[in-house]
Amino acid sequence: VPFPGSPPSVRSACAGRTEGAPASTPSPVKQAATRRRRIGREHLAPYVLLAPAVLVLVLLRLWPLLLGVNFSLTGDGERNGTPVGLSNYVELFRDPLFGTALRNVALLVLLLPVAVAIPGLLATFIFLRVPGHRFFRSVYFFPAVLSPVIVGTIFNLLLGADGPLNAAFEAIGLPPVDWLGEEEVAIFVVVAVHVWATFGMSLVVFLSGFATLDTNLLDAARSDGASTPQVIWHVIIPGLSRTIQFVFVTTMIGMLTSMFGLLFVMTAGGPGGSTYLPEYYIWIQQGQMNRPALASAASTVLFLVMLVVGLAQIALLRRGMREE
Amino acid sequence: MMRGVRTSRWLIAIPMTVLALATIYPMLFTTNVAMKTQREYILDRFSPSRSVQWDNVTTAWTNGGMAQYFINSLVVVGVAVVLLLLLGSMAGFALSHIRFRGSRALFLGCLAALFVPFQVIMVPLVRTMADAGLVDTYPGLVLAYVAQFLPFTIYLMASYYSGVPREIIDAARIDGSSFYGVYRRIMVPLGVPALLSTGILDALFCWNDVLIALLMMPSPEHRTLMVGVTSLRGQYSNDIPAFSAGVLIAAVPVLLVYLIFQRQIADAVTAGATKG
Repeated sequence: VPFPGSPPSVRSACAGRTEGAPASTPSPVKQAATRRRRIGREHLAPYVLLAPAVLVLVLLRLWPLLLGVNFSLTGDGERNGTPVGLSNYVELFRDPLFGTALRNVALLVLLLPVAVAIPGLLATFIFLRVPGHRFFRSVYFFPAVLSPVIVGTIFNLLLGADGPLNAAFEAIGLPPVDWLGEEEVAIFVVVAVHVWATFGMSLVVFLSGFATLDTNLLDAARSDGASTPQVIWHVIIPGLSRTIQFVFVTTMIGMLTSMFGLLFVMTAGGPGGSTYLPEYYIWIQQGQMNRPALASAASTVLFLVMLVVGLAQIALLRRGMREE
Repeated sequence: MMRGVRTSRWLIAIPMTVLALATIYPMLFTTNVAMKTQREYILDRFSPSRSVQWDNVTTAWTNGGMAQYFINSLVVVGVAVVLLLLLGSMAGFALSHIRFRGSRALFLGCLAALFVPFQVIMVPLVRTMADAGLVDTYPGLVLAYVAQFLPFTIYLMASYYSGVPREIIDAARIDGSSFYGVYRRIMVPLGVPALLSTGILDALFCWNDVLIALLMMPSPEHRTLMVGVTSLRGQYSNDIPAFSAGVLIAAVPVLLVYLIFQRQIADAVTAGATKG
């Protein structure tokens, strides 16, 4: 962690100047005055350097966060601004659409290990220098830089009734599938597309983790005759525990907060509201239904969900690693 | 034994190649469709386009309004990235090399801000912006982007600067340089690699965003490129080649940036992981 750990430029540097100054200049009084002014200004330096950033963050991130929690306790429409207690939250949990959104969050949590294992396994093979590993590395990373909007629109074409995927199905004798039109299928398709679009990010993170791995340990395991699966299980996974933890948390955050573009373009929450996620619900309530207070309540719930899931993950993984 | 390892490596390379093709194919398919005439597309959408023709691109660019969206995106992203790098490097320098009252608290505050997603604050943020008269204006969208990606930028710059040896700064200080002088004459030039990779990643984030732009820019002439792509779908629902050309226009700048700056992007992505 980068941290302002080491000591004190302010004092030591000023002290250095005090020693050197008197010898050179004729007017010590005036000099002392400038120096004082200068030291005063220098004391302010870190605050001046930080002020614009802090101003932006406080006004446009911290303040809205507090405002939002407060806002979720007031009414919408005619009751705009009047406190209504927890009634927004009650309404929220009675809304079947929000229920679906939360159920889909649970589904994402269940699918999370798969979304982490895919880039992890691919990174392992690349690290073990599969033929063509450089090519794979740069190709796999490419979709990660594309916008969800681009990815979503392209997949709309690919998954269309007469698109390439169904054409391939037809060629091998399978019936065509309405990929985005069936309630049971659509959410899995969207998640799969999300994984396709983002696994490159985790792949690169894994590869940087491999760079810190102790190669002596690998060589030792190899010369002891360990097979590749054994090496992965006993050397690589324990050695990468911090990286794996990081990828778990970032993948989860990614799934909860960056699928809006895909949902917006591919399913618009449908069919039958089956692909709702909290972020999409918030957007609909705010933008389409004109229910900002209800949307704020959903925001607060999303924030709590992320907090709980994130902390639980870290706790679980820590315990898992210790038992290794 | 050696031989067994070799063969199994080639066996693994086969599914990996298939996956690589699956990664490239969607882009190739879209490019190919964008080069077809509508008639060609209806008759056969898969075969390689018989001639490379740019009519669809021109249509999307002019009639589809992509030109305007492109300029909007370029301006907003450009200004936002410059501001992000300026504020981020100033704050990153102060947090990594100057010890002062409250530095630890401020650093932790920035770190915490990283974990507050936009969805959580979007309703009150847009309301605050509307109260300030900033909704549907360029400065408003720029500010929203700066606020969104600043914690990340500060974090990356601070972790890069913490690797700059303290002696360099102390030496400049003894020579009579103020902190501002150190920032301008030492930290900015030394920080160029980090500024480049962080800036590229910030630019990609802003360029690819759709949610913030949708909320902040309701009127059609202010649309960014990604919002433009979503509106193009309705406009050209019957002319898929022209629509594909529009998608291509939005994707090509990203593709170019990726091809040129692949290493820097990967560096920025991993800097967050290894140092954290």
